[in-house]
Amino acid sequence: MNLEEFIRQNRSGFEEDGPGPDVWAALEKQLPQPRKERGRVVAMMARHWWKAAILVALIANAGLLVKYLNTRQPVAVVIPEIREMETYYSARIEQKLETLKQLPAAETGLDSLTMKELELRNDTYKMLEKELAANPGNERVRAAMIRYYQMKLELLDKILEEQNKYANDSTSTSTEKHVL
Amino acid sequence: MPVTDQLMARCRKGDSRAFHDLYHAYSRAMYNICLRMTGHQADAEDVLQEAFVQIFKNLDNLASDTSLTAWIKRIVVNHCLSYLRKKKVYFEEVEDQEWKQEEGVDETEHTLTVAAVKDAIGQLPAGYRTVLNLYIFEDYSHREIAGLLNISESTVKTQYMRAKEKVRQIVKLKSKQI
Repeated sequence: MNLEEFIRQNRSGFEEDGPGPDVWAALEKQLPQPRKERGRVVAMMARHWWKAAILVALIANAGLLVKYLNTRQPVAVVIPEIREMETYYSARIEQKLETLKQLPAAETGLDSLTMKELELRNDTYKMLEKELAANPGNERVRAAMIRYYQMKLELLDKILEEQNKYANDSTSTSTEKHVL
Repeated sequence: MPVTDQLMARCRKGDSRAFHDLYHAYSRAMYNICLRMTGHQADAEDVLQEAFVQIFKNLDNLASDTSLTAWIKRIVVNHCLSYLRKKKVYFEEVEDQEWKQEEGVDETEHTLTVAAVKDAIGQLPAGYRTVLNLYIFEDYSHREIAGLLNISESTVKTQYMRAKEKVRQIVKLKSKQI
C-alpha cells in the first residue's frame, strides 16, 4: 500500500481533537456587532442620503423658481437659443441616464421614484417647459431651466462617479476574495 | 450542528450564538488543517483565530453559489500560508528534469503506522510538508497547489515526490531502530 492510500484509509487516525476554549473566548471579543434591523428603503436612504438631498434640491430649485415667477411675457416664437440649449443638455443627460440604467438598482440605491425624478421628461421638466413655452423671453424661467439641467447633470455625474468608485472597490475586494 | 441557511442569516444579523454554532461546526476540521500546516498547537490556534475573524467579517460577501465549506477552508489555508511566509518558508522552483528523474521512485511501503507516518511528516522540511499536506489531506490538485504557492505545477509534483520519498525513508529508518 502506498502512502496516499494508507493516509486516506486511516484518515481519522490523523485527526486531532479541536482547538482549546481560548480560541472561541478570543474570537467572541472580536465578533462583528449586531446590526439593527432597518427597512430596506430606510437602509438604502441611509447609504444614499446625499442623493436624496440633491434630488430634493433639484425639485425645490425648479419648483420655487417657477412658483415665484412674477412676470409673464407671452411670445409666440420660441427663441432658437433655447432649443439649442435644450438639445445640448438633453443629449448629455440622456447619455448619462442610459449608463445609469445599465446598473442594477441595488447598486445605485435609486428606487423607481428617484429614477423617475432623474429622468429628463418628468413632471418637473414638463412644468418648466410649459413655463418656458409660455414665457420664452423670461430670463428667470430660462435661468431656472438651465439650472435645472445643470443640477441634473451634476447629480448624474456624482452618482456615476460613486458607482465607478464602488465598482473599483468591489473589483479589488472580489480579486482579494478570488485570491483567498 | 448542521449549518443551515437560517444559521447563516442569523450570523449576517450579528447573532453571537449563531457565530458560535458556525465556529463549532467547523473548528475541529479547520484546526486540524492549521495544526498540520504549522506543526505547532499554539500557532495553529492563533492562525485559526485570525482566519475565523476574517470569515465572520466577510460572510456578507459570500456569493450564494459558493460552497461555504470550500470558502472557509480556502481562508484557513491562506492564513496558514501567510503564517509560513512570515516564518520565511520559501517554495522554490526546481528544474523539470529533476521531476522526470524522480518519477520512478519505488513506492513499496514498509509496515506503516499512523504514529510513524505522523512523526515522519512532522520531520519534513516545511516546504515539502506543505505540498504533501495540501495534496493528500486537503485534496487540492497539483495545479491548485501551484496557484496557491505561486510555483510551477512541475515543481509541486517534484516537491511532492520528494516529500513522499523522505517520509518513506524516515519510516524505514525508524522501523529498523525498533
